[in-house]
Amino acid sequence: MRRFLGLTFCAISFAAMAVGPARAAEGETFKIGALLGMTGASSYYGTVMSRGAQIAIDEINADGGIDGTKLELLIEDHKGGNAQAGVAGMNRLINIHDIKAVLTSFSPPTLAVAPIATEKKIFMINGGGFSAKMIGASPYLFHNRSLATDFTRGILLRAKEHGFEKMAMISVKTDAGENVREIAHQFWPELGGAIVADESVAYGAANMDTQIAKLRTSGADFIFAAIFRPDAGTFLKRSKEFGITVPRLGIEYTPDDQKLAGEAAAGFEFTTDYFHPTDDNPWAQAFYGKYKELFNEEPDYYAANYYEGVYVIAELVRRAFEAGIDNPDGAQLTELLWKEPTFKSVYGGDMVFQENGVAQKRVGLFEVQADSEKKFLKFIETTVPGK
Amino acid sequence: MDLFLQLLLNGFVNGSHYALLGVGFGLIFGTTNIVHFAYGPVYAAGAYSAWTAAALLGFPLFLAGLTGVAAATVLGVASYLLLYRPFVRRDAPTFVVLIASLGLFILLENLIAILFGTDKKVVDGYSAGIHFIGPTFYTDIHIYQIASLMILGLALAAFLRLTNYGKAIQAMTDNADMARVIGIDTNKVSILVFAIGSAISAVPAVLILLRDGALPNMGFIAVFVAFLAVVVGGVGSILGAVLGGFLLGMVENVGMWQIPTEWQSTIAFIVLFFVLLVRPQGLFKGT
Amino acid sequence: MEYLVHIAVMACLYVILATSFNLLIGFAGLFALSHAAFYAFGAYTTAILSTQAGVPFPIPLLLGVVLTAGVGAIVALPALRIGGHYLVIVTLALQVIVLQVLINGGEFTGGPDGIAGIEKISLFGWRLSSPHTFLPMAIFGAVVCTAIAWRIARSPFGRALKAMRENEAAAQAIGKNIVLMKVIVFAFSAGLAAVAGSLLARYISYVGVDSFSIEETIYILAMVILGGTGNLWGSVVGAIILVLLPELLKFLALPPDIADKMRQVIYGLILIGILLVRPQGILGEHSTAPALARRARKDAHADEEIGTVNGTEPGEVTVSARGLAKSFGGIVAVRNFDIDLRAGTITGLIGPNGAGKTTAFNMLTGFLQPNAGTIELRGRSLVGLKPHQIVREGVARSFQDLKLFTKMTVIENVLVALPDQSGDSITSVFFRPGTVRREEEENFNRAVEILEFVNLADKAHELAENLSYAEEKLLVIARLLATGAEVLLFDEPLSGLDPATLEEIFPIVRRLARSGKTICIIEHNLDVIRGLCDVAVYLDEGHALATGTPDELVSDPELARRYFG
Repeated sequence: MRRFLGLTFCAISFAAMAVGPARAAEGETFKIGALLGMTGASSYYGTVMSRGAQIAIDEINADGGIDGTKLELLIEDHKGGNAQAGVAGMNRLINIHDIKAVLTSFSPPTLAVAPIATEKKIFMINGGGFSAKMIGASPYLFHNRSLATDFTRGILLRAKEHGFEKMAMISVKTDAGENVREIAHQFWPELGGAIVADESVAYGAANMDTQIAKLRTSGADFIFAAIFRPDAGTFLKRSKEFGITVPRLGIEYTPDDQKLAGEAAAGFEFTTDYFHPTDDNPWAQAFYGKYKELFNEEPDYYAANYYEGVYVIAELVRRAFEAGIDNPDGAQLTELLWKEPTFKSVYGGDMVFQENGVAQKRVGLFEVQADSEKKFLKFIETTVPGK
Repeated sequence: MDLFLQLLLNGFVNGSHYALLGVGFGLIFGTTNIVHFAYGPVYAAGAYSAWTAAALLGFPLFLAGLTGVAAATVLGVASYLLLYRPFVRRDAPTFVVLIASLGLFILLENLIAILFGTDKKVVDGYSAGIHFIGPTFYTDIHIYQIASLMILGLALAAFLRLTNYGKAIQAMTDNADMARVIGIDTNKVSILVFAIGSAISAVPAVLILLRDGALPNMGFIAVFVAFLAVVVGGVGSILGAVLGGFLLGMVENVGMWQIPTEWQSTIAFIVLFFVLLVRPQGLFKGT
Repeated sequence: MEYLVHIAVMACLYVILATSFNLLIGFAGLFALSHAAFYAFGAYTTAILSTQAGVPFPIPLLLGVVLTAGVGAIVALPALRIGGHYLVIVTLALQVIVLQVLINGGEFTGGPDGIAGIEKISLFGWRLSSPHTFLPMAIFGAVVCTAIAWRIARSPFGRALKAMRENEAAAQAIGKNIVLMKVIVFAFSAGLAAVAGSLLARYISYVGVDSFSIEETIYILAMVILGGTGNLWGSVVGAIILVLLPELLKFLALPPDIADKMRQVIYGLILIGILLVRPQGILGEHSTAPALARRARKDAHADEEIGTVNGTEPGEVTVSARGLAKSFGGIVAVRNFDIDLRAGTITGLIGPNGAGKTTAFNMLTGFLQPNAGTIELRGRSLVGLKPHQIVREGVARSFQDLKLFTKMTVIENVLVALPDQSGDSITSVFFRPGTVRREEEENFNRAVEILEFVNLADKAHELAENLSYAEEKLLVIARLLATGAEVLLFDEPLSGLDPATLEEIFPIVRRLARSGKTICIIEHNLDVIRGLCDVAVYLDEGHALATGTPDELVSDPELARRYFG
């Protein structure tokens, strides 16, 4: 017993000591926090997001930092959606590292830390979370990813364009999937369509055969898959195997999904942030090249969004320095953002933060080719004509 | 009707998968009374080893599968020797061993993620043949899933009935103390069941690798389902684990015929809840 | 240092969760893995009432506790029927169902998005919005909840819980209502977990299902097991270690892309390491008796001889059974069995194996319901009563396989069996503490007297599992005696003992009879029957073949032929 009390005591002193020097070191660097899912079922996202962000940090530092101030990235793990872990991580970032700007991800931990951000004036930018419920959670919360509404509307407008009527839907039971489902249930009837099946699948499901069997016999004109990695790949593969012949439309297709689905993904149409590095966009190509070189994998738009998020924060810090603010807090960064809400985007061109905090990006429509590569078809206007 | 038939087939296929997971877990659990939570990551390690052999070393598929089986066997036996045996020797309560096993689970799962990364591992160049009877579809993998259960299940049953080692396992399952009294080396038998149980787990793991790809956390669902199948069927009964697995598979699939699929992950538990209330000793085991 | 304060707040919440879970697991021995579901109930009740109806603190907390306690009581129902791994699975199932209902609950529960914007606690115009201001609240909650758990654990009720954990049948046989006990302990455990949930909801202003997954239940279980089951301080220590450990590991400098996974690996290693060093948990279980030993004063005069039954005429019939019958699936165990047991008389029940002796005992004490026949104690029917009710009526029994409460001390084994303890009632535990304490002292003295009577007083603070075989048999007698029942049914109390020990025990049993107890023993050893019994009943094929003095029966050639075969 005594031994364990001793251990606990040592542990606490160790914590206290470790806390001390960390504070003393601030000043020469501007620290950016990241709340990502580094362990557990969603650790894939944490991996690619942290890589994207780190590349941006390294690039900026290699260029001499922001007027000589270097950037540093500090990652905290929210275990893929655990609110308490998110809050603990946020508190660590604020208290130990005195962080004023955070890259956040996933809707549940973002919602959980939003009040802290408001209270402590922390600037947050989300490039992965998808749920529209995050809008308005904090005045300092921004999104450089279009949220569920845009993608959903985009792909349903595409379905309308095809002349489809009967939709069979499959959605994953997460905040993101549920959001898309809600929006689709409202929007598709508005477009005059009918919903003939509404299946649901657990995140990382071991078995999707039941849902696919039900979709197949639903008699729909098309299937709308509100499904994300890794389930999107599973869906594409299994639906092909089960002889589904009607068109499949969706909202995500990552390299991970591509790997699993292979040729079975051919013909899949999806809307997503238009990140297309092979385009005549040198910035995207440079990022693509670096990522590929470092990790021998293609970056997806999650990596790109967090790469871009760092650049947004860096730009705001630069503006703050210009305005004579040495150590800007989230409120000041937010104010500087609203002064000029236009930023250069790795997606090409500029992105503009809207009043709701979302940087509306162009929603791209892609189609998967026979060789499982995606092909850009066109940009989609997500507002209904005449409304 | 087409849908019903398809769901019936799906239930049978998924049931076979669950049943095989249950057989491996149940053999270990029933014999040693160790709740081998780390069965999950051992299963995942089987898939990852097979992937390494196939994708990195260029082994042919069958050989890669055997590599997976071998790796899982080694890891399973190692987990018994290094982790569980000290607890067994000290007669530690079941739930202490369970928590230690959980520690191993966390350790192995994260180790896999560190070693292999968090992206999905897929064996390139393999695509399963697709077949149909009337309107009902199935693939090669489905056949393998059913066949592997039948072959391994029968082989295990024969082994347990006909060999001395098998009889020793059964004796220990019935009563470990009595087995010790009549001179059975329970330590050796434990090593044996960990070897067999882990080897069995690698087979469904490799099939899932081919069907859905491998992810570091794939073991959680596997061990969870295996535990359910075993308890529903009755601890200590291999046939019970098989039937428990089939019941789960059927309920999850055929049960969704008229019920929205958002309840899929729940329905098995609702059925379970009531089944165990009515038959607390498990469905397929005498009192 | 808000970060440290935040960890302290979380530690407080987990202390509540771990101690309440320990009540269920460590004390009652009920491995019900749905604790995170109770936690969720508390959190969601507060979240829903606060965001959708604007109900102010502390009403949602209290409603959440009541509601969750009710849910806990319902979960106790399966636990009445099943135990071990099956209870684990059933409660895991319940956990999954609760989570799925929360996910599928649409607007009401916020679905997978959860519920954000829960109003912070305001006390006297002071808003507890930061970790600093919340910490006193969290500490207060942890102290109150731990105190409640502590009060239960250290009360006679807690002792009865441990007895139930050790052996349910034996707990019933000393007059404990295990159905009621299970329902109560589930309700308390669940209700306390709901407090933690409600505080969490207020503290982080957000609830989502990811916070209440199966992993969370296992995390709390790890705290309980690591700290040591059956010891509430252990749970406090376990909670603090497992909350601190991951945070401490964050100070390890590791390559960022694998840092958190490496930390998990180390976390797993440390968990295993601690358990290898201390498989019983960091803190062991302790007895409830030593504290009493310090307090209790020995009364100058024992008011009466142990075992005295007042108002009994020696030879008067106390228990009378007529026409008892019991069959199991067509196999007749007992048929048309009549027996009279008399005060001050030792009756021996003999007969070959399978003659139905133990079945007869089981019927007399309510463990089996007869298919036919009557059982009366001084004219009052006992048929249809539960075992614990029959004990209170005055008929108690021992078991052939002893069924001692092995992980409890000798004196606890006796203390727990004493009748009419107001501390067995949870309301008295909390609302009449003075009475309970006074009685405890009296009971302690009484238990010491009983142990002295059977010559075990010097072993009072040994664990029952450390006794010799003969001492175990003595403890069985002591425990049976402690029930205060006037009719004592012993199932082979003397089997396996050497003659010297028998000579020690005989006088004890005789003294009991002399003091007015009605005694019946099942025995195979004819020497014991002849040396001890006044009357013997020969039972064969479920039927009383002959009744008489032991010598009469032994000299009956027909019986001798049957018995020795």
